Amino acid sequence: MIEAPAAQAWYVYGVVDATTAAPVDDVRLVEHGALAAVVGQVPLADFAEDVLAERLNDRVWLEAHVRAHEDVLMRLAERATVVPFRFGVIYRELGDVTAMLRQRRDELAAALAHVRGRVELGVKAWADRARVEAALGDAPAGGSGGRAYLERRRTEEERAQRATALMTEIAQGAHERLLAAAVEGVANRPQPRELTGREETMILNGAYLVEDGGTALSELLRTLQDEYAPSGVDFELTGPWPPHNFVEPPEDA
Amino acid sequence: MSVATPAPLQEQITLLELVDRVLNKGVVLTGDITLSVADVDLVYVGLRVLLASVATLEDAG
Repeated sequence: MIEAPAAQAWYVYGVVDATTAAPVDDVRLVEHGALAAVVGQVPLADFAEDVLAERLNDRVWLEAHVRAHEDVLMRLAERATVVPFRFGVIYRELGDVTAMLRQRRDELAAALAHVRGRVELGVKAWADRARVEAALGDAPAGGSGGRAYLERRRTEEERAQRATALMTEIAQGAHERLLAAAVEGVANRPQPRELTGREETMILNGAYLVEDGGTALSELLRTLQDEYAPSGVDFELTGPWPPHNFVEPPEDA
Repeated sequence: MSVATPAPLQEQITLLELVDRVLNKGVVLTGDITLSVADVDLVYVGLRVLLASVATLEDAG
């Protein structure tokens, strides 16, 4: 018995200029005016709303699809300006994709213009609390007995508070300086330790939109690293990324 | 969407990093099917459970 082909839908990865050359494998361009949506076919059943939540909790499925999404965007970004869409924007008909381009033409064109010739870099700052506290000096005094114990406890607590304040100060200061080396930037919520799996505390989870490949920002990062490593804070650079963080209008707009 | 073997470069990017960008950022449009915020929160809960279980395995091993 011949089975009917599974229902397919159109998954939208992002938007590029209509002049963009032939897309990467397995995806095609749907043009409307100066814009083109980058789409690929997916089985509708995979993204059906009643199974999507379950799929997203399937580590293997999630990883394969999230990587595939980013992979298409990365390969496009190597040769063109791309406005990344969030994971999971799907239309049943190509005509619906065209309609979307028509309806959102102005804001998509503005988003493309905003990120043209620019890339996103990620900067994370990690604080090793033990090192931060040690760098603050004045280790609790020795001694025995109730009074010495209480004294030591108070010193420890006070030092922990100063370390927390210092970590916040370093993160804010670094973000401000990184902003000065970028077109735009955002400090996202640091990832919790239970997700990063690292001993160190993430104190900055920044994303910066930069020109010229981010030479100025990379140099600044080395300066920050030299400056703050003695205080127990290390910096990590990631990217270049497709500009995920810089394609939505600001929330207060 | 092709879900073939990821490029070597991609393998260095952690899943968490990708989830943070691909599921949390980018242009949000209401397609015929669209991920809700609740769905994304579920992913974090799922990853948390998964990582916790990996940690448990490592501790046991």
